[in-house]
Amino acid sequence: MEGNPLTLIPVLVFLLVTFAVVMGINRRAALRGGNFVSEYFIGNRSLGGFVLAMTTIATYGSVSSFVGGPGQAWQIGWGWVYMSAVQVTALFLLFGILGKKLALISRKIGAVTIIDVLRARYKSDAIANVSAVIILLFFAAMMVAQFVGGAKLFESVTGYSYVIGLLIFGIVVISYTTVGGFRGVAVTDAICGVMMIVGIVILAAGILIAGGGYENIMQTIMAENPAMMDPLSDGNMPIGLYVTQWLLVGVLTFCLPQSVVRCLGFKDEKALKNAMVVGTVIIGLMMICVTALGVLAKGVLPGTLAEYGGSVDNIIPLAIMESLPAWLAGIAIVGPIAASISTVSSLLISASSSIIKDMYMHHCDKRGHEVADTRISTLSRIFTYAVGVLVLVIAIAPPDVIWKINMFAFGGLETAFCWAFVMGLFWKRAHAWGAFASMAGGVVAYCVTMALGFKVFDLHQIVIGASVSLVLMLVFSWLGNRYDRQRGIIDQPDGVFFVA
Amino acid sequence: MTYKEKLQQANREALAAVIGLGATIIVWALLGFGVAQTGIVVFSTPLWVITGCFGTFVFAVVIAVVMAKFVMHDVGLEDDEEGADNGR
Repeated sequence: MEGNPLTLIPVLVFLLVTFAVVMGINRRAALRGGNFVSEYFIGNRSLGGFVLAMTTIATYGSVSSFVGGPGQAWQIGWGWVYMSAVQVTALFLLFGILGKKLALISRKIGAVTIIDVLRARYKSDAIANVSAVIILLFFAAMMVAQFVGGAKLFESVTGYSYVIGLLIFGIVVISYTTVGGFRGVAVTDAICGVMMIVGIVILAAGILIAGGGYENIMQTIMAENPAMMDPLSDGNMPIGLYVTQWLLVGVLTFCLPQSVVRCLGFKDEKALKNAMVVGTVIIGLMMICVTALGVLAKGVLPGTLAEYGGSVDNIIPLAIMESLPAWLAGIAIVGPIAASISTVSSLLISASSSIIKDMYMHHCDKRGHEVADTRISTLSRIFTYAVGVLVLVIAIAPPDVIWKINMFAFGGLETAFCWAFVMGLFWKRAHAWGAFASMAGGVVAYCVTMALGFKVFDLHQIVIGASVSLVLMLVFSWLGNRYDRQRGIIDQPDGVFFVA
Repeated sequence: MTYKEKLQQANREALAAVIGLGATIIVWALLGFGVAQTGIVVFSTPLWVITGCFGTFVFAVVIAVVMAKFVMHDVGLEDDEEGADNGR
């Protein structure tokens, strides 16, 4: 297939604009001066409500929201859209449960990363290190999955090769993240979020017109695939799947480290409240509508899965090509590409902060080495760039089924951090032993049962991961507290997380 | 406001979010599975699709607005309680 320059131009324009915006922000930030680490990794806690909402949504909404999710909806029907509606809770949970508490605590202790918070809460380097390893491992996998998803889509819609697509937007996202830091990431996320909405609207219009109108599409589905109109989809969408999806993409998402870190970065309480309302409106509309596109794509692609290459991930790219002229297709794919790079940029800056702030700087601090700000700024940028390039290289030889990889990491991160955060912030007796056991043990339990395909009551392994993690937290906190008492260490509130 | 009171306010907000979650789950189930029992179809669309997806969405937005307006009170994020502690 020949590359069509008409589809390429919108993508290039979008990437150039994002890059230019970061350059502009960076110039102004350089003029302001101030502490490099706080500026580079958390943007000096200056996010306003709209940017806070958009960066959280764009980080959370990934290329799989645009490809894997709608693909599943094409196969299963409205049940999958109904399931995706649980994502409306993501932002009010994040900002409601963690928002204010983390804002208070992070200012009190000067925390820049979520690992700073965990280290201060549990007074344990072991917990900080195991967190950093878990974050780096899963973030790397997720970044690869995002790159792969974005580049595959790019290849199938534009006709240019996978590697060209990967290099074009890969290099742009790595560069602007390296240069712009957290503030650059947040602002480009806002632009990406807007482009995601634009992409959804264009594709919706294309599919509705190509399918002969909404009612026509729905009547065809009703006649030919009535199961798609049933919430249980004639058994393809069992209740158990709803329950576990509630956990995976709904309730537990507020513990994802890439979301949690945003609670350290906003300016004031007005920003928090605005982000909660605006964010809930946008994430709800976005996730419900983008998933519904998959169902409606049935009107454009009425065949069986085998006719479309046997993978639901092909559905959206095919729907774009079938229903839109080349130049509009080019604008439409900016949506999923924006979803991909906005997730990568946030993961990349967090991964880099884990290496530089949580490992390197802490190590130097402990040994009493004073590290110059200029050295830290150089190292931070080198590491951000190096991690990005490494991930990009891995993505050249891509693994299969992006949706599953992404979900593997999602569940793993949720298992690791859910109880460590929730108990750490709201339960005085949560002990470092408990946190360590719940993180390490939960992730191992989750990954092993995932890999073996072992399930309880046929429920997704997130149930095992989250339960094991909770039990370990409770048991080992009890043991840890008992051990402390025997050694005469009395449980005193530290005045930061809890006050007597 | 003392730091302790600020933390207590944060705890109240967290509790409210959890209650909001519980309510959303119930509403989601009623508007989706519940309404699906009726078998009503409007605009060639099963009614449960509209209520289950968009009804749940509207409900979550209401929760967010109620929290922002009535539950979340500004406490001042900057660390200023030393002054307050000393008998202001």
